[in-house]
Amino acid sequence: MTLSEYVSSRWDELTQAAGQHALVVALSILMATLIGVGVGVLTYRRPRLAGLATAATAGFLTIPSFALLGLLIPFLGLGWGPTLVALVMYSLLPIVRNTIVGLRAVDPAVVEAGRGMGMSAARVMARVQLPLAWPVILAGIRVSTQMIIGIAAIAAYVAGPGLGNQIFDGLARLGSVNALNAALAGTLGVVVLALAFDLFYLVVRLLTTPRGLRA
Amino acid sequence: MPDDISDGVRIELDGLTKRYPGQEVPAVDNVTMAIPAGELVVFVGPSGCGKTTTMKMINRLIEPTSGSIRIGGEDVLGMPPDQLRRRIGYVIQQIGLFPHLTVAQNVALVPKLLGWPKAKVTARVDELLNLVGLDPAQFAGRHPRRLSGGQQQRVGVARALAADPPVMLMDEPFGATDPITRERLQNEFLRLQRELRKTIIFVTHDFEEALRLGDRIAVFRERSRIAQYDTPARILADPADDYVASFIGGDSTLKRLALISVGDLAADPAAEVDGLPRVSATATLREALDVMVSHSTQQVACDGGVLTYAAICAAAEPAREREEVPGAR
Repeated sequence: MTLSEYVSSRWDELTQAAGQHALVVALSILMATLIGVGVGVLTYRRPRLAGLATAATAGFLTIPSFALLGLLIPFLGLGWGPTLVALVMYSLLPIVRNTIVGLRAVDPAVVEAGRGMGMSAARVMARVQLPLAWPVILAGIRVSTQMIIGIAAIAAYVAGPGLGNQIFDGLARLGSVNALNAALAGTLGVVVLALAFDLFYLVVRLLTTPRGLRA
Repeated sequence: MPDDISDGVRIELDGLTKRYPGQEVPAVDNVTMAIPAGELVVFVGPSGCGKTTTMKMINRLIEPTSGSIRIGGEDVLGMPPDQLRRRIGYVIQQIGLFPHLTVAQNVALVPKLLGWPKAKVTARVDELLNLVGLDPAQFAGRHPRRLSGGQQQRVGVARALAADPPVMLMDEPFGATDPITRERLQNEFLRLQRELRKTIIFVTHDFEEALRLGDRIAVFRERSRIAQYDTPARILADPADDYVASFIGGDSTLKRLALISVGDLAADPAAEVDGLPRVSATATLREALDVMVSHSTQQVACDGGVLTYAAICAAAEPAREREEVPGAR
């Protein structure tokens, strides 16, 4: 059976795996964005804390993904739990880092003007600082997404969702019927997903960058 | 200055002090002064003298260590800072327009914070843009980065005026513009202030600007000690000490002449005007003198007749400026 025959005969199974793969990545990025932007907002003005946040999230990235997923099993069992937690941990660094950098790059005069006009600190953050830092933060989110789309495949190791199952299955029985096709189909699916996400971010960036900030 | 018909309110600073932790000497030391309603008072002094710190304590961007501030008799240190600031216009040198909002959205900000109805906000934005000389049809929808520096600062002034605050704080607002734009902005601003009669505190390190704009000037030395607080004419005529005199420089008489316009003097209507160079009634005596020197004459023609060199000399007599000005100290 050729690869294309394999793909068309397993179409339902493959699209379901791809859908789950996309879902687990999207959920992880959503949670990482909430946490990462929050951490960035709380630390960007305190150099020591900001350094600590960056170092800690960078530390997460150095843990091998097999080890991290495996170590989470005693606490979270198998499946979605450890997968989500691991992916969130891996995606934090670019988001935290870019939030801090983006907020620091906002012109202090703009913040002073906002405060001087009687906007509360929270309102200046929500209406002025975050919108101005948004293109930089979004770039961080995009990098995180690209990173964890690949890592998510490894989640099959803890019975997580996604295209990783195809790849692991194939690799486990390499040499038997359709083993190579399964591994290739899973890998290709990951690549296609990555491209689709990137296209999505391109559109998001165009739609969410304020007109006054576009070159 | 009649307080009752003016739009501005009186500001009183009493024993205002700012001490930063870990610093021996206070940045601002025991400032006591009164700013009469509807007047433009210029804080002038070298960098680091504490004039900006003093100003920023008034809208509490910097919290005073001790002392009191009253605006229109009301103690501002007991108010929530954000609400206080919505009633004080604030203009800074870097302008600080929000780059992601349009000109109209920038100007509308404080009225929206105050919960004005939408129609009123829109009407107010148009009114203000017209007031600062920007056509709303052309500029309302633009973003700040598509404006020149002078236009941006006009929007900055319009934004500060948006909710019609009785008090304005201006921190070197024209300091970053080129000399020609600066002079135009200063003139427009003076014209605006003659109509609006806000109480304005204007910080600058440019003594010439202080002379042009101020109803009164407070000359600051280090730690916000006030060396002299008086009208421009009286500071020029009678500087309190060598420090103030050093700000004025060597041409105090010429600077004083620049404060008086030709129309303020009674010209000799009987004299022969033929063949004399003309000056307008709005020209300053300094400009009239310039014309005399350049034409090697002691007389110039003006609307009322002939202005003589002797009349200018008489106007420059310091004694003329010594009449008591109410509220000055």
